[in-house]
Amino acid sequence: MLSQSVIAKLKSICGEKDVITSKIGMYAYGYDGTMLEGSHVGIVFPETTQEVVDLVNFCREQGIAIVPRGAGTNVSGGTLPTDGSIVMNFARMKKILEIDLENYVAIVEPGVVNWDIQETLANYGYYYPPDPASWKASTLGGNLGESSGGPKCFKYGVTRDFIYGLEVVLPSGKVIWVGGRDFSSEPMYDLTRILVGSEGTIGFITKAAIRIQPTPEAKRTMLAIFNTPEDASQAVADIVSAGIIPTTLEMMDNLIINTTEDHCGAGNPRDAGALLIIEVDGNPGDLEAQVETIGEVAKKANSKDFKVATSAAEVDKIWLARRVAFGSVARVKPNYGVNDITVPRSNFPKAIAAIEKVKKDFGVTIGTVAHAGDGNLHPLILFDQRKKEEVDSLHAAEMELCRIAIDLEGTISGEHGIGILKKALLPKEFGPVGMDVFKKIKRAFDPQNQFNPGKLVDL
Amino acid sequence: MSDIVAKIKDIVGDEYVITAADMSQYLKGNEQPAAVVFPGSTEDVAGIVKAAYDADVKVNVGGKVVETKGLSGGIAVVMSRMNQIEEVDPENLTCWVQAGMNHQEFVEKLLEKKLNFPPEPYAVSTSSIGGCFAIGDVDSKAFNYLPTRTFILAYESVLPTGEVYKVGTKCIKCVSGYDMIHFIAGSRATLGIMTRVLVKLLPEPGATRAVVADVPSLTAAAKAFKAIQKRKVFPTRLNALNKALGNEIMETSGCLVLVDIESFPVSCTQYAKEVEAELKIAGATSTKIIEDKAEYKELWSKWLKVREKINQEENKVKFTVGPAKVVNALGSLSGIVGDIEENPGVLVEGLIGKTTVFTNPDANAAAINKMAMGLGGNVSGLLGSQLRNNAYNDKEMVEEISRVLNSIRSEFDPKGIMAPGIKL
Repeated sequence: MLSQSVIAKLKSICGEKDVITSKIGMYAYGYDGTMLEGSHVGIVFPETTQEVVDLVNFCREQGIAIVPRGAGTNVSGGTLPTDGSIVMNFARMKKILEIDLENYVAIVEPGVVNWDIQETLANYGYYYPPDPASWKASTLGGNLGESSGGPKCFKYGVTRDFIYGLEVVLPSGKVIWVGGRDFSSEPMYDLTRILVGSEGTIGFITKAAIRIQPTPEAKRTMLAIFNTPEDASQAVADIVSAGIIPTTLEMMDNLIINTTEDHCGAGNPRDAGALLIIEVDGNPGDLEAQVETIGEVAKKANSKDFKVATSAAEVDKIWLARRVAFGSVARVKPNYGVNDITVPRSNFPKAIAAIEKVKKDFGVTIGTVAHAGDGNLHPLILFDQRKKEEVDSLHAAEMELCRIAIDLEGTISGEHGIGILKKALLPKEFGPVGMDVFKKIKRAFDPQNQFNPGKLVDL
Repeated sequence: MSDIVAKIKDIVGDEYVITAADMSQYLKGNEQPAAVVFPGSTEDVAGIVKAAYDADVKVNVGGKVVETKGLSGGIAVVMSRMNQIEEVDPENLTCWVQAGMNHQEFVEKLLEKKLNFPPEPYAVSTSSIGGCFAIGDVDSKAFNYLPTRTFILAYESVLPTGEVYKVGTKCIKCVSGYDMIHFIAGSRATLGIMTRVLVKLLPEPGATRAVVADVPSLTAAAKAFKAIQKRKVFPTRLNALNKALGNEIMETSGCLVLVDIESFPVSCTQYAKEVEAELKIAGATSTKIIEDKAEYKELWSKWLKVREKINQEENKVKFTVGPAKVVNALGSLSGIVGDIEENPGVLVEGLIGKTTVFTNPDANAAAINKMAMGLGGNVSGLLGSQLRNNAYNDKEMVEEISRVLNSIRSEFDPKGIMAPGIKL
């Protein structure tokens, strides 16, 4: 619990209304997309970089840890408050400071919601490619903290690939700019890249120069239905082998097809083993040949059906099932745990088979959605939070999925981050030397372990 | 010093250690190391570095040639024996390659398999794959393909303390832990010696075209580049070289514009015509669309030689502004360095807004940086970072960035043995 003098100082920095210390007021900021909760002692809502600096300096003097927070959509526990910490919520720092279309750059504050920048840019025929599933709620600060991905990553890359530079408040309380408004401005070490994805453990981002680009002239959306996930996986491999890098290669398995049919009647066959949503974009003159090739590949991989959307309404219909996929599983169980294991594309069929084994071994129900092009799977483990045995099975199955990913030469996190949920498995993926390297980075920035302590790596 | 050389001979074998006068062909600079060593494996490199670390002896590394600044009495590690492609994986579009493999040879071997590794060699005659990522360049193709660092998926390295470090997977998505995979790019061996690299590949482009043009001036070329982008045409390379550099590729009366288009067949043809049209509007006295594959290859081979010359020039300044502001930047640049058309070397990389000018950095970098900052840009790299903060009179930021950089370096290399010529 904070003393009155500390609270008074925090209020003098942020303003009376922008400090919360009441239990009920803090509740909504104590959890994230996991089932876990933290116990913090206060929340502050800075509006300027200077306020962030003042808060960091004051908290350092007081020995108080700070946990940064955006919209709280995190699913790895990265934004969970640690005991006795103050949550720094960046929701008030939500200005789009500049959009420079001709030079492909926008300057934004961390509290800008991903969707909001997309809508703003769409007015000018531009966009920002990273599009995590949470984009209607998650903030760019959060996306930067996790180096978020999304369906378009296969062709365009993840968040780290679209960041030119950052204004950062370090644990020392000093403000630095790393990078610039282009890719050539790093001071030798690529500090931008080490900060992106660092989960708020080594610096707080207060401004970001993001790369924006013109919306592609045209896109084509296709739906391919398969008897088995293995056939769908083969189609994915063959599309890439044919020299085509689609914008999107989304896969859903039989369980998800059925829950989405129950939810919204998207019109997909309930007996299908898997479906692929495939999108290509670019010059309109190039797309017909690519669509034709993809159709041939799908046929060769035994697709039951292959459709090409011919109108915006048909595009929406194809995407409908994918958009409601996560929510639709509530018809089976009230809760789900979402994983983000990633494996090399060639091991995708093995990962699918391994998920089947986990279902049997742990007695859990799993529906799988995947960004199949980049081997990033989202096995949704369905459970009822009110039943302890189901929660226990969930945790055990999630750990097993991570072990499977490592055994298949993949990674335990493709886009959600480590936080606290996957921290225990990090040594298995990186070994003692790798873990020591992470500690070197943390120590170089935050030797007092003040920023988001207990996440990602311990000192 | 003879102890360390003896130890290293034990590790790699006598035949792979040179201590005599013929070391010079593997060295660049005025200082004299105790030995040039040719390791054949990661284990060799680990043994060499550990021995050097224990003896507090400096180490530097190169693909074929090692920079000797600060290396007097130290060990020069030449990676040329580690020059093999270990695995090409077309399904995952990845390749494990040893760090000493020649960059251009690597590109060509992959093309035989219809695979594309886009980053351009820094110096086509000598650059290795390890060097490619140690420098971590942002080249002319970076607008479409992203910077060099984007193409590293995993690597094996030897830390300055002698431990072998392996990180990364064949997955293009990985957010497990700090992003050490991409952080290594550009660190110039200060954080260790890369021995093997897993790179990301792309399918070979479906079609290619080049457009060359003789344009009256760099400013005219830059105006055309702006117009081309306004048409939403984004070629792979969109470069202009002033007369002195351009004439090393082909004779021109003005500046030489080189445009590379890698795409699919329909758009490739369309974009080439649009580019040519804009260059003619800009006053090009001659233009040519190159479709023939051999001619196309020859053109870009010549470009890579010029690129090597530019990168090896010590008296140069690189700066970046927004691509739409290059015209303004070139207008101001002449006021600082004199007539850019008559300069011994000016390169404009239009899509990434980067200009390289041959000039004495001590004399002109600060003025160029000030001009670039007025257009939202700055001089590139560490020098640019320092100049930018100096221009803001922000001593505190300069000191803090320096503190962070040096803290990272000393965490990895507590004795300061690696890459002694690099100052942060």
